[in-house]
Amino acid sequence: MNDGRSIDLTVATLEGEAAQQIAPSREEIEPPPVSVAGGYYGRPYLKPPVWIWSIPTYFFVGGIAGSAMTMGWAAQMFGGREFRRFEQHCRWVGALGGCVGTALLIHDLGRKERFLFMLRVFRPTSAMSVGSWVLATATPLSAGSALLARADRPLRQLGDTAGAAAGLLGMPLAAYTAVLLANTAVPLWRESRRSLPLLFAASSMASMASLFELMSLSNREQAVVRRFGTIGRAGELAASLQLEREAGPAVKPLRQGAPGTLWNAASVLTASSLVVSLLPGKGRKKRILSGVLGLLGSACVRFAVFHAGKASARAASPEPELPRFPE
Amino acid sequence: MPKGFFTDTTVCIGCKACEVACKQWNQLPEDGLHFSGMSYDNSIELGASTWRHVAFIERPVALSGQNAGDLSWLMLSDVCKHCRRAGCLEACPTGAIIRTEFDTVYVQPDICNGCGYCVVGCPFGVIDRLQSDGRAWKCTMCYDRQKDGMEPACAKACPTDSILFGEVSDLREKAAGRLAQLHERGVKEAYLYGADKHSQPGTEGLNAFFLLVDKPEIYNLPREPEAPSIRAKQSWLSLAVASAGMLAAAIGAVMSSRGRGAR
Repeated sequence: MNDGRSIDLTVATLEGEAAQQIAPSREEIEPPPVSVAGGYYGRPYLKPPVWIWSIPTYFFVGGIAGSAMTMGWAAQMFGGREFRRFEQHCRWVGALGGCVGTALLIHDLGRKERFLFMLRVFRPTSAMSVGSWVLATATPLSAGSALLARADRPLRQLGDTAGAAAGLLGMPLAAYTAVLLANTAVPLWRESRRSLPLLFAASSMASMASLFELMSLSNREQAVVRRFGTIGRAGELAASLQLEREAGPAVKPLRQGAPGTLWNAASVLTASSLVVSLLPGKGRKKRILSGVLGLLGSACVRFAVFHAGKASARAASPEPELPRFPE
Repeated sequence: MPKGFFTDTTVCIGCKACEVACKQWNQLPEDGLHFSGMSYDNSIELGASTWRHVAFIERPVALSGQNAGDLSWLMLSDVCKHCRRAGCLEACPTGAIIRTEFDTVYVQPDICNGCGYCVVGCPFGVIDRLQSDGRAWKCTMCYDRQKDGMEPACAKACPTDSILFGEVSDLREKAAGRLAQLHERGVKEAYLYGADKHSQPGTEGLNAFFLLVDKPEIYNLPREPEAPSIRAKQSWLSLAVASAGMLAAAIGAVMSSRGRGAR
């Protein structure tokens, strides 16, 4: 064994608790950086999240899917016949977003082949367990409702029932990811636990409306999307201000460095998309501009919160004014 | 019967026999051969393949009962705390993390799919995902040895009995006795960290608790650790409010567009 286990396999067997642990090669091992700056040699007392880019991307995509499912249900209930097409668009966006989101989540797993273990148990204390079940239920329901829309009456009714169920699940799907972040030890996420779900829900509404603004829609559909988007965008801006207040001192990582830039960019993008969408005029170019700005703004919010959380865990060091020897 | 560790830092001599015994018994791979330059601590922190870690704290502060001037050297053999209310266990979506018959917290390597949620669920920063392996790992309190009635390797190897293993109720008694003894000798800084639910409500007490002589922060332990689920209700409630708002907005948007002509 050349991975530091120093085990002579002619006399010993690999049966220890960690015998199957796959070790990194010696070149891959990077010692944690230490310093005399403060705390325990500058080390945080928390481990930073191990998640990669696909997780905040999922927050974004899953948000669009969830909002679309809910909007599809609203259109199904109150839209009447002329909203059938819009309703179908919503269902398909929900189904497709759910599939892409699932792929993004699997991509981050350390053991991708075990992705189905996510449905091995249901654990209400784990927002990730609850979310996995919501995602795994809502996605096929949304796809099923879309597929059955053109079928004959009994089947179509079944499809509508599935659409309603997907619409109900779409709400938690859009923003459970905020609860998932809030229920961690990471100071920024934990301290903003009340405003984070509001921010993610509003952001998912804004991004869903923004995506639909890129499509060609009827006047009525345009009006629906614009109103939904206006509430989402305004909500997103308000919730981000609320988050800065709620987080208190833990907000620091969101105010500096790359996450700070993303956070500010998000506000600027969302605000401009709100302004553009409310300008008079019905041009297609106007809608596309506001849609693109809105999508970018929502994506920036998720990436800013995600990366600021990583920085927040890395900075989780006890008081810097602990007694030190003079240098 | 709940089993646990009582780590009395006042008798730790920093020999790292626990670190070595842990690595050897569990057949853990190395973490590289690096010199940190920070006192005698080269393993730096607990991690996926470091399940015992001896912290060395050199500080310009006198410790009562000693006559070394304004200097004291603290050592602490850190380990997974096997919290009564464990953040990692509550976060695990696959059921890979379980509570064993010894009341310890154990990660089943054949179930863990490496989702990484336990890593941010732990208020002590103990458990970590090993990039090369893909799964999350931490101290098992030598589950395999315990099943055969043996004490964990670190406790067995500890030459000063700084690490005591046993039934948690017994350990609490011993710890209380030791604390009284130290206070009697004038080491008034001594106190127990995480010994019970009363002193650490956020974890409902640790099955692996400590006797310390300075603030927890000095040892890189959080002052008030808390299983994240304790405040979960607030975020779920907020999600419920947000959901209601979203549904109202969707219905409102559809309803208010009535009466407009089709394209």
